[in-house]
Amino acid sequence: MRTLPLAVFAAVLAAFAAAAVRAQDRTATAATDWWAYRPLVRPVVPNVGVHPFVRTDLDRFVLHDLRAQGLEPSPPASRAALIRRLTFDLTGLPPTPEDVAAFVQDQRDAAYAELVDRLLASPQYGVKWGRHWLDLVRYAETNSFERDSVKPAVWRYRDWVVDAFNSDLPYGEFLTQQLAGDEIEGGPVSALVATGFYRLGLWDDEPTEPLQAVYDDFDSIADTAARSMLAMSMGCARCHDHKKDPIKAKDYYAFLSFFEGLAPYRPTSGGTGLSVEHFARRVPPDGALAAFEQQRAAFLSKRSDDTARIMSLAAEDYGRLDAVARVQRLRRERGSLVARYALDRSDSSKWLDEVAGQHGLVEGQVVPVEGHRGLGGRFDGDDCVVLPLLVHDSFTITLRLKTTHHGPGREDDQRWFTGTGLVDGEVSGIVRDFGLAWHDDGRVVAGTGDPETFVSGPSGYADGQWHHVAFTRDRGTGRIGLYCDGVLVDEAIGSTQKLDAPPRLVVGRMQPGGAGFRGDLDDVCFHSRALSAAEVFADAMTLPGGIVAAESASLAAAMSVAAGGRPPELATIEVLCARERGATPEPSFVRVRGDARTKGEAVEPAFPWVLGAAPPAIVPPKDGRSSGRRTALARWITAADNQLTWRVIANRLFQYHMGRGIVRSANDFGRLGDLPTHPLLLDWLACEVLERGQSLKAMHRLLVSSGTYMQACAPDDAKFRTDPLNDRLWRFDRRRLTAEEVRDSMLAVAGVINVELGGESVFPPLPPAVLATASRPDEAWGTATKEQAARRSLYVHVKRSLLEPLLSGFDMADTDSSCPVRYATVQPTQALMLLNGDFAHQTARQFAERLQRESSDVRARVERGLWLALQRPPVESDVERLCALAADLQRDFGKTEAEALQRVCLLLLNCNEFLYLD
Amino acid sequence: MTFPDPRNTFCGRTRREFLWQLGAGFGSLPLLDLLAADARRDGRGSSLVLPHGDPMAPKQPHFAPRAKAVIFLFMYGGPSQVDTFDYKPKLYPLDGKTIDIDTKGRGGSKRQGRVVGPKWNFKPYGQCGKHVSDLFPHLAHCVDDLAFVHSMYAESPLHGSAMLMMNSGRILTGAPCLGSWATYGLGTQNQNLPGFVVMLDKTGGPISGAKNWSSGFMPAVYQGTVLRPHGEPILDLDVQEGMSTAEQRRILDALREQNESHAAVRHDDTELAARIHSYELAYRMQSNAPEAIDLASESAATRTMYGLDDPRTQDFAQKCILARRLVERGVRFIQIYSGGNHNDHNWDAHGDLVLNHTLHAGATDKPIAGLLADLKQRGLLDSTIVVWGGEFGRQPTAEYEHGTGRDHDSAGFTMWLAGGGIRAGVSVGATDELGYRAVERPFHVRNLHATILRQLGFDANALSYSHAGLQQKLVGVAGADPIHELCS
Repeated sequence: MRTLPLAVFAAVLAAFAAAAVRAQDRTATAATDWWAYRPLVRPVVPNVGVHPFVRTDLDRFVLHDLRAQGLEPSPPASRAALIRRLTFDLTGLPPTPEDVAAFVQDQRDAAYAELVDRLLASPQYGVKWGRHWLDLVRYAETNSFERDSVKPAVWRYRDWVVDAFNSDLPYGEFLTQQLAGDEIEGGPVSALVATGFYRLGLWDDEPTEPLQAVYDDFDSIADTAARSMLAMSMGCARCHDHKKDPIKAKDYYAFLSFFEGLAPYRPTSGGTGLSVEHFARRVPPDGALAAFEQQRAAFLSKRSDDTARIMSLAAEDYGRLDAVARVQRLRRERGSLVARYALDRSDSSKWLDEVAGQHGLVEGQVVPVEGHRGLGGRFDGDDCVVLPLLVHDSFTITLRLKTTHHGPGREDDQRWFTGTGLVDGEVSGIVRDFGLAWHDDGRVVAGTGDPETFVSGPSGYADGQWHHVAFTRDRGTGRIGLYCDGVLVDEAIGSTQKLDAPPRLVVGRMQPGGAGFRGDLDDVCFHSRALSAAEVFADAMTLPGGIVAAESASLAAAMSVAAGGRPPELATIEVLCARERGATPEPSFVRVRGDARTKGEAVEPAFPWVLGAAPPAIVPPKDGRSSGRRTALARWITAADNQLTWRVIANRLFQYHMGRGIVRSANDFGRLGDLPTHPLLLDWLACEVLERGQSLKAMHRLLVSSGTYMQACAPDDAKFRTDPLNDRLWRFDRRRLTAEEVRDSMLAVAGVINVELGGESVFPPLPPAVLATASRPDEAWGTATKEQAARRSLYVHVKRSLLEPLLSGFDMADTDSSCPVRYATVQPTQALMLLNGDFAHQTARQFAERLQRESSDVRARVERGLWLALQRPPVESDVERLCALAADLQRDFGKTEAEALQRVCLLLLNCNEFLYLD
Repeated sequence: MTFPDPRNTFCGRTRREFLWQLGAGFGSLPLLDLLAADARRDGRGSSLVLPHGDPMAPKQPHFAPRAKAVIFLFMYGGPSQVDTFDYKPKLYPLDGKTIDIDTKGRGGSKRQGRVVGPKWNFKPYGQCGKHVSDLFPHLAHCVDDLAFVHSMYAESPLHGSAMLMMNSGRILTGAPCLGSWATYGLGTQNQNLPGFVVMLDKTGGPISGAKNWSSGFMPAVYQGTVLRPHGEPILDLDVQEGMSTAEQRRILDALREQNESHAAVRHDDTELAARIHSYELAYRMQSNAPEAIDLASESAATRTMYGLDDPRTQDFAQKCILARRLVERGVRFIQIYSGGNHNDHNWDAHGDLVLNHTLHAGATDKPIAGLLADLKQRGLLDSTIVVWGGEFGRQPTAEYEHGTGRDHDSAGFTMWLAGGGIRAGVSVGATDELGYRAVERPFHVRNLHATILRQLGFDANALSYSHAGLQQKLVGVAGADPIHELCS
């Protein structure tokens, strides 16, 4: 066989290669050339001429499209229908008869715009629209699984969402705070609360495979973020490249790695409770810090006056003592003093003890610096001084400290062994030990072991001033006390055993290792008894003549006043939030076939390639607490040129107002989703979101002021034949009330609704039969006052394994995955709930009582009832029907007038017209 | 902007139309075939895509079904296989001896364990000669009707996740349960009763409560309805005190007039019509459900056969009779829990195995035997699958230093099935000689689910529901085959 000349071979090879490249290009182009991935370009508004339907540019797109199909829009809805539609739409509540009557009367052009403004300004707007977002992020207040335990303070996130809508937080900021509010330097606490977004998912406190469970949570976070903010369905790329969309497993894990720095939920060691330090923080609420600083300044100023007065009184007292008394006093003080490290004559390797020569050994470098009196010692975080176990029965440890550095530990943590050691005798386990430590927000904490007993001081002591600290322990009573600047700040009763577990004491660091103290110490003293409050105060004041003072009544009085003045406490709140494990997360990998244990290729955080963004610029925040990855993600998602974000929110706004999205699959803009029915309109609306400063309220105004929104929803057989699905928006789509609207309207119509905002969720009574489905029926649910039970449905506790039956029966959002569109099922069990249920009957009774209060005879009450329930002027045939019913029930079933009226009210709450909006 | 791929329909319908249909009709719409093939053709990712038609109308499965109904007897807590149906003669002499064995349970992984010999003797029964322990003196005589799977395994040895796995095929919450899949696939034959019914133990629900009968991401029509054998059988079924049924009827008539006058000018909205109709269904359910749970018409012989006259078995007997009555009335999927709440209120024998299993087997043995015999004599067993088992089994070794308590065992456990075309008198698979791990023909919980679906007429790998961009299946992405030895 003849061999091919090399040149021919090369040419063939080159041709093949070129073809392969072209094929690859084609694939890449096809992949990116999808409507949702194309850059957002403002479309030209179609010219449709003058038409009464056209109220906004939005309508020009719709009308243009209708005409292309040979359709015309419907006439405008009646004013009564319109105000009802709008009031539910913006607040989730029915309008009052007075609102309806006034609006029907007021034919001015401006009346509608004024109504829109009034509803948007109502705080109930946030309650309604916040719920839409909560559906998308699968908001629930428990963790699911066996114990289905409560997520601490999760309701703050719900309140944040409501507030964000009410204050019209620009949409980009709304997303940024949820994704990375904790990384905003000096950001408000509310931004930290927003990161509760990361803590809404499921958590199995007893996972079969712990690592897999951690990755299940990461997956749920990434999936929720991708769906809710980008309408991307990435979940299936967890196991393999997406079958339809150009999302590869590598894309998925690169996206996941934005979140991999987050500290996952973790059980307490050896238990099944939540280990809160991994996902929550204790922080001062916004404004509390300034208030605290004011109070503290006032406290310090008063204290400085007190001190001056006490010093002069003490000097007078001391002056009056004779020599014998002075020696006695000195002896008493010395009598219990075990060791004193004044640090004025110590060298670099030793701390000299002036009392009995029990010198301390310096490890590292404790640098001599100017102390409280004479010299002190400076610790840089890696130094410590080792002392013998100087005390173990009753004792007092006093020292002076000065620092501007904060310690570790969670903000409200009282456990001394999670801080940095000041004087530490910790031995791990529940043993007879003790210690004194420095904590996160500038607080001293101390305690004794077996049983673990803690005392902690107020925060705010990391102020660069010298402070006196004393920790006393009386073995006889077990009482421990903590003093700051001579004032008792906390006390507790603990162990009465000999605290001899630690073989030695360490100053400046915890015994088992960990972070060291950074700051200055001076005058570290040990006494073999618990000093009295007065003695501690005297020591803190360095009164002349030592720690015992107050011979005169005037001095004693002045001291007791000063010792009683407690320093102000900084108020803090618990916040469920994002916490990362540091500035540098572990490397990320593809997890082969979704198995967390099987690491594949290493990946770096990256945006899905198909969207063609530049690689993320990741800058860790200065505080070293987190990686900055999520900030980079937020920046990309909220960038004006992100192809998806603005289309997605525009589509959702359209959906929630008009009943369906321009893209019906609102959580999936990919190839498995639906195509937009009005692609140009969608892009135009997306551009409007940006144009209008990302203000959702501005978008509401635009959408609800459109002729499209204001159309009637009446039937039209000819149009129905052409477009039975109303794809072209030739009318407004009727809708059933949502689960929350059903319950809230019942309460509102009955006149008992409590529209209070915010706070912890409530537990309206559940039928015993529903409670019996829980594995611990007695502990499954809480109780509520009458007022709490009448709160809006948004505030009903969302327990994943035990849902309020009326809300779940009327298709509330699934709690376990992002819910873009509510179902609206029709089931006989719904009819049973409204016909026979306790809540329905109770509400009907309250409704009837209201009618009796507000109107004087049966006919007037029926009319008023129709007005309230249907939110339109009553028609004669309805009035007659219901009056006849009331009469029949009295005549044939022996009901009283009041009972008959209750039945009429029950009927009203069951009407289709009550549950459906035109 | 152009769309080369004109797929802008939900198989020719929109969400709204679908939702009409979801609520509409109640049997008034023509039967439409559904499911996987359709969903694949449809190829949509929105969570809204459901096959069309009345969601609960009777539907045609993939192929001719052998069974129309399922009764799942859920032994919550995990019965011990080596003390019930998995005969391990070699275990007796090892009682009290510490041996090397790798186990994984609630107490974590262990390398050694003290054997707790089976606490009951086994004897052969029936033509098949199946060994059954003395715990089940009545059920033992039914072995020729049963098919045992001794080599079941699950993914979790912990109750919460294992319960979810047995009920929904996954260890995480959020997925629909087997009963939801059955009613989604087949609809119901009796609109006046729920299609998927759950009866709980008198001590309370299982852990995770309603998650065990949730329809997950499917609409609420497919979730299990808790049926109580006493008093008000279904939540809010009873007319409120002070109102008679006649009075209620009068109110319902006025309501219908009110609704019809509202609908008259909205004639094209079938959802409104469906809701009017739903009140008639509710009204009928009020009489049908109490009739279904009313045992007055049951003969003395039947009562005795189930053990209704014995306080020890009375509670479970009542639920078993109810199960049969529901099957007769066209209910598709019935689940009965033996055991509820926590600790020894269910089969979770961590402490005293003898006390625990004597209690729970004693309460259920005769009722289950009665149920099987009764279904058989009425000709219902051929079309009804009865399933028995827990979320896992128990280890052959002791959990603690002292006592007979056994820890959880998800590596190997026994379940049995009967009726509905399941081959009778057979045993499939085996655990090792100590009864810990499935070693011969191991079957995942998914295989059990696939078997049940197979008998109901479905290919489990094709029965799907579109959610979150995936064609979700009960048997997951991995898929599963039925246990062929069981399918006739």
